[in-house]
Amino acid sequence: MSKLLVVDDEANIRLLYSEELADEGYEVVTAANIAEATEKLQLNTFDLAVLDIKLKNESGIELLQQLVKERHDMPVILCSAFSCYKDDFSAWLADGYVVKSGDLTELKHEIARVLAKKAQKVKAGL
Amino acid sequence: MDWECCWDRDVIVMGDCPNIHEGDEDLLTSKRRRILEKCSECENFKRDLERFSDSSHPLAPVFYLVHSEYQRQKTQIQSLVSFLDNKTLEIRFMHELGFVLQSSVDLEEVLSVALTAITAGKGFGMNRAFLLLADREAGMLKGYLAIGPRNLEEASHTWNEILGNDMDLKTLAMNFRQNKLSSERAKFHDILEQLTIPLSSHDHITIKALDSKHPMLIEDAFHHPEVNPNFAALLGVDTFLLMPLISRNRRVGLIIADNCITHRRITDEDMHSLETFSFPVAFAMERASLYDKLQIELNRVTEAGKKLKEQQELIVRMENMALVGRITSSIAHSVRNPLMIIGGFARSMLKNTPSSDPKRDFIESIVAETHQLEGVLDEILNYSDSLYPTRDFWDVGQLVESALRDTAEVLMTRGYASGYSSENDLPAVYIDFKQISYCLRTVLQSDINGMGDDRTIAVRSYRDENAVVIRIEDRSRNVTQAELDHILVPFSETRDLGAGLGLALCKTMMEKQGIPFVALAVPESGIIYTIKLPTHKEEQQ
Repeated sequence: MSKLLVVDDEANIRLLYSEELADEGYEVVTAANIAEATEKLQLNTFDLAVLDIKLKNESGIELLQQLVKERHDMPVILCSAFSCYKDDFSAWLADGYVVKSGDLTELKHEIARVLAKKAQKVKAGL
Repeated sequence: MDWECCWDRDVIVMGDCPNIHEGDEDLLTSKRRRILEKCSECENFKRDLERFSDSSHPLAPVFYLVHSEYQRQKTQIQSLVSFLDNKTLEIRFMHELGFVLQSSVDLEEVLSVALTAITAGKGFGMNRAFLLLADREAGMLKGYLAIGPRNLEEASHTWNEILGNDMDLKTLAMNFRQNKLSSERAKFHDILEQLTIPLSSHDHITIKALDSKHPMLIEDAFHHPEVNPNFAALLGVDTFLLMPLISRNRRVGLIIADNCITHRRITDEDMHSLETFSFPVAFAMERASLYDKLQIELNRVTEAGKKLKEQQELIVRMENMALVGRITSSIAHSVRNPLMIIGGFARSMLKNTPSSDPKRDFIESIVAETHQLEGVLDEILNYSDSLYPTRDFWDVGQLVESALRDTAEVLMTRGYASGYSSENDLPAVYIDFKQISYCLRTVLQSDINGMGDDRTIAVRSYRDENAVVIRIEDRSRNVTQAELDHILVPFSETRDLGAGLGLALCKTMMEKQGIPFVALAVPESGIIYTIKLPTHKEEQQ
């Protein structure tokens, strides 16, 4: 079972993700901000992280940069209310980008795609 | 003693004096003037004087001596008057020349005046002149312009033409500049091209003249020890004048002048006059050249000022963008998150609600309405993005390929195949990459209902004058032009043809960037979109 970290400042969104992604067979751990995410990252090993970009007064991009530096083997999907970040260079560091929607199909597809890609890499020994 | 001349008579009649002709009637009654102006030159008077000298009168030898001295001084005075007349003409000419040169800061005009002055009959009357300019950066003295006839026939024709038109120096120079400058340059192109001498060739006669800063008259050029025979052969004359143009101790250029047609001797007087003339010419040339450089610098400064203004406008625009960004950010967060939660939970509930449950319809309505609202929100946010485009030069291939990559999955899900072909070496296009990329993605995955069998989207890019055209051919769609035009109206309702709001937004975005966007419905053959992207900044306006 793949273990996912979901970082979002909205409690209801964290709940929605937890429910929906658990239904898809993932183990989901959530965090409301960067400090909480960092703490959970230290205690767990995750297969993938789903980050919101705007975390109250913090930036998910900063967390993304930190993860790319420290956890380069863990893929990250940005899930944001803003489509404009998709063309932002700093967002290109992420393995996937999904605009938030009540229809989580795209997010689920993206998670499956990124995890499959990661599995391929591991298999190839990269 | 009977005298042959009429000097002893107070009054004479016409015919008495062989030197008095029509127009000299005043002299018939004025004995004094007649003696001074006519008798002293008259052969009859000279014979009377000889006869008087032969007489034994004691004053006879004295009188003869006085008359001889008077004759000598008269000739001298006439010569001086002639000299003064010439000098007066020369001063007038130099004054006119100085006036014309002082009033011009255009190098071509200065050169036209200089060369016209050297060759004009009213000026120095030389047959031909070459102007060589010193290119300090290249370290060369280069043939730049020439004036004069190349043969006797042309000389006769030109000089007769000038004689027929009584023009002053300025008019002559203007005429030369307007009508003959290019043709004269072309006429002497073969010689001018070979008149390129390194400024470091101090043994070349032209550079020697420049170094000496004084004019040089070269005679017997073909046998002159200091003249390269090839140089003499190039000019084709054995006598020519080298006139250095020096301004503020700097070598500006050199004039080579000769009388290749008339072979009139070039005198020291000619040399001195030309030397006097060379100073204002050299000064005017340097001033015009500096003015040219100043103009270039001024243009650079103007351009820099323009860029600075653009940058300032960009900063203001960025500030506006930031403001719009903050507002849209707030909207995005405030509206999208609750929408997502409502829609998301409604979907979750729907999954666990049996179809027989009477509440399922309500939940389905919530799902559909939130989906619709998310679509509207997307349009509003994208529209606000389009208000302040940020343009730069981008590669078309990168633009199209990234849009195709981003839409590949959606297109594949819908059963579409896409292909891209491009002309080689397309120039970069000046666009807002984010916006045009969004437009391409929207066009590619436009949700106008497909009805045709051919589910291929062909994208092609090619050059069209100062633009690069992206042509997207979608054969699966089947709509009328009227329906398509309706879709392109922002925020219009087009439920029959799908949401369609994205295309209207694309059109608005591109219009804001001055980019022509055409959507053409081809009956039974789908839709052809053409997007003409500018390759220059000016094309935007």
